[in-house]
Amino acid sequence: MNSLYMPKDSLIHSLDPRTKMLFVVFVVASSFILNDPALQLVFLVALFPLVVLAKVVKPYLISIQFLLLFAVLIMTVHGIYNPIGVTPVFEIFGGLTFKYESMVYASVMSFRILVIGTAAVLFVMTTHPSDMASALVKWKVPHSFAFILLSTFQIIPIIAREAKIVMEAQQARCLDVKGSLIQRVKNLVPMFAPLFIITFMKVHQLSYVLECRAFSRKGEKTSLRETKIGSLDYTFLLGMLGFLAFEIYLKLFMMGSLQLTTDALLTYSLFGTWIVFGFMIIKFVVKQFQGKIGGAN
Amino acid sequence: MEPYISVKNVSHKYPNGVTAIKDINLDIHEGEVVAILGSNGSGKTTLVKHFNGLLKPTKGEITVGTMNTKKERISKLSSQVGYVFQNPNHQTFLPSVRQELAYGCKNLKMAEEDIETRVQKAIDLFQLKERLDDNPFDLNSSQRKEVAMASIMAVSPKVIVLDEPTTGQDHKGCKRVLELVRMFKREGHIVVLITHDMHLIGELNCRTVVMNQSEKIADDHASVVFSDKGIMEEAGLQPPQITQFANQITSFDETKTYLTVESIIEWMKANKEEDVKVGTGS
Ligand SMILES: Nc1ncnc2c1ncn2[C@@H]1O[C@H](COP(=O)(O)OP(=O)(O)OP(=O)(O)O)[C@@H](O)[C@H]1O
Ligand SMILES: [Mg+2]
Repeated sequence: MNSLYMPKDSLIHSLDPRTKMLFVVFVVASSFILNDPALQLVFLVALFPLVVLAKVVKPYLISIQFLLLFAVLIMTVHGIYNPIGVTPVFEIFGGLTFKYESMVYASVMSFRILVIGTAAVLFVMTTHPSDMASALVKWKVPHSFAFILLSTFQIIPIIAREAKIVMEAQQARCLDVKGSLIQRVKNLVPMFAPLFIITFMKVHQLSYVLECRAFSRKGEKTSLRETKIGSLDYTFLLGMLGFLAFEIYLKLFMMGSLQLTTDALLTYSLFGTWIVFGFMIIKFVVKQFQGKIGGAN
Repeated sequence: MEPYISVKNVSHKYPNGVTAIKDINLDIHEGEVVAILGSNGSGKTTLVKHFNGLLKPTKGEITVGTMNTKKERISKLSSQVGYVFQNPNHQTFLPSVRQELAYGCKNLKMAEEDIETRVQKAIDLFQLKERLDDNPFDLNSSQRKEVAMASIMAVSPKVIVLDEPTTGQDHKGCKRVLELVRMFKREGHIVVLITHDMHLIGELNCRTVVMNQSEKIADDHASVVFSDKGIMEEAGLQPPQITQFANQITSFDETKTYLTVESIIEWMKANKEEDVKVGTGS
């Protein structure tokens, strides 16, 4: 529960954090090189085996849902309203037309979010925060900077847990959290005031604790968790490099002759996100309904 | 008499699969003070969070007054069951004690004059007249805890639940808690308190519920529970020192459990002091 890290025994987990950081950089770069919906879709699908390999399919799908929300919004709103579109593809009720150019634009953008999101989730879920910090230190990142990054990762779940307690504590003071929208906005004060105070107190305490353990001591520091770059990492890095070269080749020499993006692909991916989104809503409603009926689980 | 809180076959399973309480049955009547004992993680907090609806039973039913906790809003239940959290920092956040006291009533949208009388009553009960304009965060931890209690009491709930009220308190703070609990009882409230403080229970001389590994294993008067060696051992509890002492002196009335120093002195006054003999323990 202490961070998003999922301790599992997998190939991806055993990679050096530095390799995985480079992997994230590689994915971000690729998502910009491959600015074509079809290629990005292929890339997204190609990333999925890594998620399976890392044994984090279920938590991955849960966290990617939120990104999908963005994708749905972008694809729908841009597809219809983005002024760069000229060629109509199809029309939905009310005379709203999806246009080819804007759909390409929207798909590239939303697939890019999903691709980068996948890499980020993969990185965070398979890398122990301390490993990340010690890897950064090996890259000559100042120790305190690495720690700031590390503690940010670790404090998020702590804040989430405190937020839950504060919410319960305020409900115990007769605060109605299920009120109208205005009421809910007003409720932010009793929620966030104690949360801020508690977080500040915790951070303050943390600084004392750190000093008690000689945090600001000058000189070389050793780490409890050592990370090493092994043959697996080199293989992985080599793979990435090869892929990158292929992408650039594709981009430079093949784009003219290769035209994968079609009306059908764009339409289907739009429908695809809608359908998945629909399922999410149905699941949410069913859950709410079950709660009302009286917690059937 | 109908119980005010009635817990029927209640189990609670957290979303992560931990069953924190199992098949609990418990009736709490008007005017009772109930202490809940048990080791860390035995399910005490989980149990009492059901009383104001913060948690809903995953099995079984709880009635508070005439309300089924599954069907009522937490805010409404909270007007009847006041819950004082262990850490006052989670509950208090307003810049003055006065605002803190009025906050719960305002959430319930009471009339202005009604709020005024209730706040005034809380001020009198807790003797907060001098501290009204203080910022709760400038007070020391036992005073802050008292403000948190007062702000819950200002709503005048029927029941008041205290989660570990004496943890981290100095002797004066602990004594104050004892006084307050007695005062709540006098004012006609039901008091439910979770505590690891055996001395406090001895002094309160109240009904005691023992939780162990998610189950209720004892529910009786403190003197009965404290003298039940099997239960005490199972739950990993030790009675107050004075009770342990009295248990080893055979010449004390063996049918009685002595919970406080006063009760022993009383016995000594009634029987002459030289009659006290030290035995091998019972
Ligand atoms: N929000 C939660 N989600 C999952 N499990 C929980 C949650 N809260 C408590 N638990 C688990 O339920 C069990 C009972 O917890 P509970 O807090 O009720 O114990 P307690 O008797 O109040 O302990 P303590 O004396 O430490 O306060 C513990 O095993 C705990 O880990
Ligand atoms: Mg507890």
